[in-house]
Amino acid sequence: MSQSCHDSTLSGSPSSGRKILIIGPPNSGKSQIFSNLTGEYTLIANYPFSTISIKQAPCSIPDGACEMFDTPGIYSLFIQSEEGAAVRDMIFSGKVDVLLQCIDATRLKQSLALTAELLELGIPMVIALNAVDESARKGLWIDAEKLSRILGVPVVESIAVKGVGTNRLKKAIEKAKPPKQTVRFGDMLENAVSSIEPLFPEVVRYKRKMALLMLLTDSYIEGYLEKITEKNVLAQITDTVNDIVQKFRGNPARLIRYTYSQWVDNTFNEITKKQMASENKFSENAARLCRSPLSGSLILIAILITTYLLVVHVANSFADIMKILFWSPVEEWLNASIDSSFWKDFLTGKYGVLNLGVASALLTVLPILSVFFILYSILEDVGYIPNLSVLSKRVFNKIGLSGETILPMVLGFGCKTMATLTAKTIMSQKERYIAIFLIAFAIPCAPQIGLSMSVLGKFGITAFVISFSILLAVEVVTGLILNKMIREDRKSLFVQMLPPIRMPNLKNIWRKTYNRLYEFLIEAFPIFIFAALALFTLDRFGVLEKVKIFLSPLVTGFLGLPLDMVEALILVMATRSLSVVVISDLAEKGQLDIVQCIIAVTLTTMFFPCFANIGSITKQLGVKRTGIIVFAITASSLLIAGGTNWVLRLIFKL
Amino acid sequence: MKSRLEKDEYLEALWCMQEDGKTSMADMKCELEKDLDSEALDMLVDEDMAKFSADKSGIALTEKGAAHARRIIRAHRLAERLMYDAMGMGMDFEKGACEFEHIISDVLVNSICIMLGHPKECPHGLPIPPGDCCINSVTTIESAVTPLSDMKIGQSARIAYMNCGEDHEMHRLNGLQIRPGSTIKLHQTYPSFVVECEGSNIAIDEEIAHHICVWQLGATKAPSHTVEVEAPKKQGILNKLFKK
Repeated sequence: MSQSCHDSTLSGSPSSGRKILIIGPPNSGKSQIFSNLTGEYTLIANYPFSTISIKQAPCSIPDGACEMFDTPGIYSLFIQSEEGAAVRDMIFSGKVDVLLQCIDATRLKQSLALTAELLELGIPMVIALNAVDESARKGLWIDAEKLSRILGVPVVESIAVKGVGTNRLKKAIEKAKPPKQTVRFGDMLENAVSSIEPLFPEVVRYKRKMALLMLLTDSYIEGYLEKITEKNVLAQITDTVNDIVQKFRGNPARLIRYTYSQWVDNTFNEITKKQMASENKFSENAARLCRSPLSGSLILIAILITTYLLVVHVANSFADIMKILFWSPVEEWLNASIDSSFWKDFLTGKYGVLNLGVASALLTVLPILSVFFILYSILEDVGYIPNLSVLSKRVFNKIGLSGETILPMVLGFGCKTMATLTAKTIMSQKERYIAIFLIAFAIPCAPQIGLSMSVLGKFGITAFVISFSILLAVEVVTGLILNKMIREDRKSLFVQMLPPIRMPNLKNIWRKTYNRLYEFLIEAFPIFIFAALALFTLDRFGVLEKVKIFLSPLVTGFLGLPLDMVEALILVMATRSLSVVVISDLAEKGQLDIVQCIIAVTLTTMFFPCFANIGSITKQLGVKRTGIIVFAITASSLLIAGGTNWVLRLIFKL
Repeated sequence: MKSRLEKDEYLEALWCMQEDGKTSMADMKCELEKDLDSEALDMLVDEDMAKFSADKSGIALTEKGAAHARRIIRAHRLAERLMYDAMGMGMDFEKGACEFEHIISDVLVNSICIMLGHPKECPHGLPIPPGDCCINSVTTIESAVTPLSDMKIGQSARIAYMNCGEDHEMHRLNGLQIRPGSTIKLHQTYPSFVVECEGSNIAIDEEIAHHICVWQLGATKAPSHTVEVEAPKKQGILNKLFKK
C-alpha cells in the first residue's frame, strides 16, 4: 500500500485539492487503482459492475492533496444505464480536474473506444495502461510512449493487482494535460454538429460532445439538459436535431460509431505489435470447463460439496473448540462469582448479553463466516461467478427472464443488498422488478448459506440438499408466476462480459476476507447485542411469553416447529445470522428433528428481507412497491413453509 | 420520359419519401435536390407508377410503382453493402452504387444478396427490402457471409455487418467492440453463445448471434456435403427469424 491519509472524512467536505475521476470500462481495474492510490479499501472483484456507485477518498500526490473518485464502469459516454448517467453527469458538471482513464491492456480496443470519446471533452487526462502483464502473456506488445505521443497525455503502464506503477501514476497526475487530438468526422456530420453547437446556452459545457450525443439519440441526455436549460431552448434544440436526423441520408448514429471505430483501429494498429507468443491456455481452458453444461455442472457441484464439507466439518468443529476454550471457562467463572440471579440471567442466561450477544457472534458465527468468506473470495477473485450466468442461462430463460437479470441474481448469493443495487443495470422494468423480488425472496446470501450449511450439516447432507432444492423450487415458481402477472413487451438482450479466469491472488483474498469479516463485525455485533437486550427485556416483562402463546397455533400447529422458534423469527428481522444461531442451539439441544430443521432454515431464509435489503429495494422501487414486496414475501414464506412441513411429514412419516 | 435513368431516380425518391411518411411535392424536390420535371412526373402517372393527390400538391407511389421502386432500392442498397463490406470502400461507395443499380438484373441482385447472407440494412442503416431469396432464406455454398450462429466452435471470422434491429443493441455490442471489421471467435454455443472479441470473452443470446454476420473464412475449403447436411436445420431457424 502507498502513503495515504485516512484521517479526513469521506463525506463531501469542500475539497482540499483537485478532483480526479477514475474512469474506464467495467472490470478494467479502476477500484484496484483507486485502492492503490488512496489506501482506501473498496470491494474489488473480478467481475463487471462490482462498483455500483461513485466512491470518494482523499489521496496525496507529490504536489499536494487531491480527491480521488472511483466510478462504475462505462464503455462509452453514450449511456444506457442509471449508474453510467451518474458518472457522466459528474464529468459534465465541470468539477472534474483530471480524468484518469483506466485502460485494460488485454481489451485495448474497448478501452480506446472510450478514450476516443473522452478526448472530445478536453479535460486534462492521464492514462493508466493496466494489466500489461496479462496482455504480454497473450502476445500483445503495446507501445505506451507512442500512445502518449499520439494523444498528448501521460500514459503509465501498471499492474494494479500487484500494486505496480502506483507511484509513477501519482507523478503522472501532476503532469496531466488536455489531449491534443480529437476524432474528426466527415463533412456531413461535422456540419450537423456545428449547426447544433451554437444552440446550447452558455451554461452547457462540452457543446461538441452534447451535439454528438443528441445525434446518437442518447436517452439520458435530454434529462440532463432539462435540468440546466430552459424548456423552450431545449425544445428548439431537439427540433433542430430531429430535423437534421430526418434529412440525414441514413443513420447518423451508425456513422458516428463508424468513425470512432476507424480511429480505434488506426490507433490500435499504430501502437501494438502482435507476437506469436503462447496464449494463456490455462485461463482459456479453465473458463471453458466452467461454462460447458456437463463439466460446468460438475464443477459447480464440486464447489458446493467442498464448501459444505469445509463449513460443516472444519468450521463447526473450530466453533466448538472456540466455545470450549473461551466461552465455557468464562461462563463457569461468571456463574460462580455472581450471586444475583438477575445479573446471572442478564449476562449468561438464555438471552444473556454475553451469551446470545457476544459469544454467539464471536464464537459461533465468526468461525463459520471466516471459512465461508475465504471460499467465496477465492471464487470472486478467480472470476468464476459470472461464468455461472452462462451455465444457468437456460433456466433463467425458462422463467421468462432473459440475459441481463442473470448476473444480479447470481450476485444475490453474495449479498442481496449489493445484488439489488446491481439490478439497476437491467433495462427492462419488468425484469428489474422480477429480479429484485426474487433476490429478496428465496436466495440465501453468503453468510446465510454458510450458517445454514452448518446447521443443516448436523442432520447430514440430505437436509442440506432438500432445503436448497425447496429454495430453488420457490424461486423458479415465483419467477414463473411474476412473469405471467407482469406484462411488458420490451425484450432485454443478453450481452455479458465474462472476466478472464485468473489464478487467485493470496493478498487480495486475505484483504477481501478480512474486510468482509470486519464489516460483518462492525455491522452485526451491535445488532447482536441490541437484539439480545431486546429479547431479554421482552422475556423479563412476560411479553415474549404472550407472543409465543398468541403465535403458537401458527408456529407449532401450522409450521410444526417448537415454540422457541418464535425467537428466531423475531430475530430474523434484526439479523439473520443470530436467528440461525438460535436454530442451531435448538438443534443441538435435540429440540428439532430433521423436518423441523429444514422448515426452520428455509423459512428464515425467505421470511422478511433484511433491513439493508429493504433499504436498497426502496431506493429503486419506492416505498409502496417495497411494502407490497415485503408483505408478499413474508406471507408466502409462511404459507410455503406450512405446506412443505405437511409434505415432508408425509414423506418422512414423522 | 427523358430517360430510364431519370425515371428510376424519381421512383427511388418516391420510395424514400414513403419510408419517411412524406408525400408533398416540396419533399420530393428536397429528396432529389433539384427542380422537378413536370413532364417526367406526368409520365410516371401515365404509366400508373405514381398518383397525384387531389389538389396536385402531393404525390405517392401506386402499387405498380412501389414494386418497381422496391427493386431499384433493393439493388442500390445491396450494392452499397457489397462495396462497403466486400470491397472495403469505406464511406465512398455512394457513387458506384448509384450507377450499379440501373444495370443489374434481379437474378444478379439475388446472388449478391445470397452471397452477403441476406443483409437487412444498407451501410447507412436504411432497410433493404427483402427479396424472394431472403424469404426462402436460400443458403448455398456460395454464401460468403453467414450468421455467427452458423460458425463452428473454435472458428474465427471477421464480422461483415450486423443486422441489429434497434440502435441500443448496436451501441451495446459496439461498446464491447463487436462491430464490422472486428475479428470474432466462437467458443461455445450452448447453454449460451460465448464469443471472444478483441480480448474479452462475451456471452450473448442466440438471437444476437443470428444478427452478427461474418465472412466465412476458407468456406471453399469446407467439404460441400457437410454444408448441405447442415442446411435444413439452419434454414428452420432462419425461417423463423425472418418470419418475425
